[in-house]
Amino acid sequence: MKNRSIVGIAAVMVFALISAGCSGPTQSGSSGATSTGELTGKISFLEKWPDPKYKVYFDKVVADYTAAHPGVEIDHQAVGDQPIKDQLRVLTSANELPDIYFAWPGDFANKFIRGGFAADLTPYLDGTEWGKSFASSALGAYQYEGKNYGIPINLNGKVFAYSTEAFTKAGVSVPTSFAGLKASCAALSKAGYTPIAFGNQYGWPAIHYITQLNAQFVPADVRAKDYAPTGGDFTNAGYEQALAAFKDLIDTCGKKGSNGISHETAQAELTNGKAAMQYLEVLEFVNLEDKTTVPEDFIGKWDQFVMPPVDGAAGNQTAITGAPDGFLVNAQSEHIDLAVDFLKFLTSKENAAEMTKVIGWPSPVEGATTAENASAATVKAVGEIQQASELAIWLDTIASAEVAQAYLSGVEGLLNGDETPASVMEKVRTAAAKVKAEA
Amino acid sequence: MKRQLARRSVGYLWILPALVLLLVFVYYPIVENFRLSLYSWNAFRPVPKFVGLNNYNRVFADPVFWTAIVNNIWYAVVSVAFQVGIALVLAALLEGVVAPRLRGFLRTVYFIPATISITIVGLLFRIIYQPEGLLNAFLGLFGVESTRAWLGEQETAIGSVIAMSQWQNLGYTTMLFVVAIQRIPKEYYEAALVDGAGAVRTFFSVTVPLVREMTTLLMIVTISGAFLVFNEIMATTQGGPNNSSQVLGTWLYQSAFKNDDMGYATVVAVVIFVFTFTAAMLQLAYSRLRRVEQ
Repeated sequence: MKNRSIVGIAAVMVFALISAGCSGPTQSGSSGATSTGELTGKISFLEKWPDPKYKVYFDKVVADYTAAHPGVEIDHQAVGDQPIKDQLRVLTSANELPDIYFAWPGDFANKFIRGGFAADLTPYLDGTEWGKSFASSALGAYQYEGKNYGIPINLNGKVFAYSTEAFTKAGVSVPTSFAGLKASCAALSKAGYTPIAFGNQYGWPAIHYITQLNAQFVPADVRAKDYAPTGGDFTNAGYEQALAAFKDLIDTCGKKGSNGISHETAQAELTNGKAAMQYLEVLEFVNLEDKTTVPEDFIGKWDQFVMPPVDGAAGNQTAITGAPDGFLVNAQSEHIDLAVDFLKFLTSKENAAEMTKVIGWPSPVEGATTAENASAATVKAVGEIQQASELAIWLDTIASAEVAQAYLSGVEGLLNGDETPASVMEKVRTAAAKVKAEA
Repeated sequence: MKRQLARRSVGYLWILPALVLLLVFVYYPIVENFRLSLYSWNAFRPVPKFVGLNNYNRVFADPVFWTAIVNNIWYAVVSVAFQVGIALVLAALLEGVVAPRLRGFLRTVYFIPATISITIVGLLFRIIYQPEGLLNAFLGLFGVESTRAWLGEQETAIGSVIAMSQWQNLGYTTMLFVVAIQRIPKEYYEAALVDGAGAVRTFFSVTVPLVREMTTLLMIVTISGAFLVFNEIMATTQGGPNNSSQVLGTWLYQSAFKNDDMGYATVVAVVIFVFTFTAAMLQLAYSRLRRVEQ
């Protein structure tokens, strides 16, 4: 029956784009891999960081592992953030998934788990030294029905990065409430800054705000029910309040036309001293310190704070939007032990510390991100993420694809003034009802 | 008789590989696509579920699908106007009015955009169309103060992409018309001159009728191209904001690979097929008609 799916996908692609072609990595196999004896065999490894500044780290780990295990060969491929979503779907249909592959936590990973494409890693993690080495929130992001399916590689969260110079010049201090954040924008504007740099050309920057505000406006149990793959109702009033609060914040503190500005262009406004702050990922801190692209005036003159609490809102005020990135192991792999062994090596304390040092990513491995190998801002952010009572996983990966798309397009319309919070939620509810009907 | 039959069989044998390839890679997927449009399925659900015409009902009730159709039609109308109408006028001007020395230079200038990768063109126009981009700065020179995000607003997104596409393809079709005009015997123009026809009359009475074949061909190619458009949208708006710049190709892609709704996507593919198949049939019918006339 799976062959039908393959033919079907081929049919759709050939039908519409007769001249187009696609290719994917091929799975190779050999025998003899065990976790106790000498490891041999060939495994494929697909990750999503082809940028040379990140790939260098993965290349080194692969080289170190194969040097230590001469009988092992690793077919390492890196595909960009957007194409990997399509490639994984095509490879799944063709039953050609790599032995180790990237997946975002939430429903994105859960689809592979439900479809039987991800190996249960609980026996490798439960009560073992390796399992205990991870921050529990990071490992928990890849749990499904009480079992562990994914290995987190980094620790990520959303915070506001702000220019200390801009805040000083405008006489503004770090806001302690959402209302205070909005109020600070008038002073920052008066001082000549765009208070919040915001570019939503890709859609996800707005979704990250909504993820955070949904967490703060809607109780956790309601969200868990609504985000579930079986589909929820999305009738809680907090969802509309979150959208209204977001629209109000961007209208007050952002610039017009944010749907036509890229996230990177907005970030350049912050680093060039034109904007005062930006809501960004901890993994992006490395961009703010890049001496080749960032003006010297900005380097070292910024700090960060988490989204302040919304007074009187019914959700969790100490939740932080974020999730680790991580890897799943193909359940149909002939070399599950070998794949797990490689992941153990990749997430060993030494390699995790090296990752933080070389590419600046905070690690979910306990004690791997320290003041010795990471910037002060990164260490502070990791502390805040670990202290957060909840890690709110990205809305566009935790919810079903239909619901996520309804949010993505609806929020774009909201920013332009073509949609209202009520009309966006109507679209979300329609999408959720469809998911529910098909569950 | 036997020898003739054997010779024919050998002939069929020669076309067999091409026939097999066509059957496997073109006709079988088309038939399979029609069959699968009756099922609900995706990459993660190995067993497709028969839903009859439900996918068709969903597609035709979906406002985004109609937005995509309207955008495709706009794309076709504007592309025909620019890449056929204006390109023909431009080619006639290049061949009849512009000084020979300048002709080569202008042809190169018009043709250069067609040689640039669509990814680069998309990136370039994303910068041009930004609120603080070149287009708004240019409008400022004429006293029009604009902070419009041309690709970020529903009212202007698809129009901006269509404009970009004309900028890129106008030079290419102009060159094709230049070649067609160069094939017109000079005697016709001399006769028109002797008869006292002006430039406009000569254009409509000599140039237009004698490049009719090229005009028809380009119209059909442009219209089918407008219904298969994909790269231009993906390199700029990806269908946004709020699905306002979706076309059938991008909506198919999003339904299949982002929404995991392959059954719905196959119906969109059927609609694309109907449009492009009709265009191809018209082309075939027209070329047959021309052959009969000749």
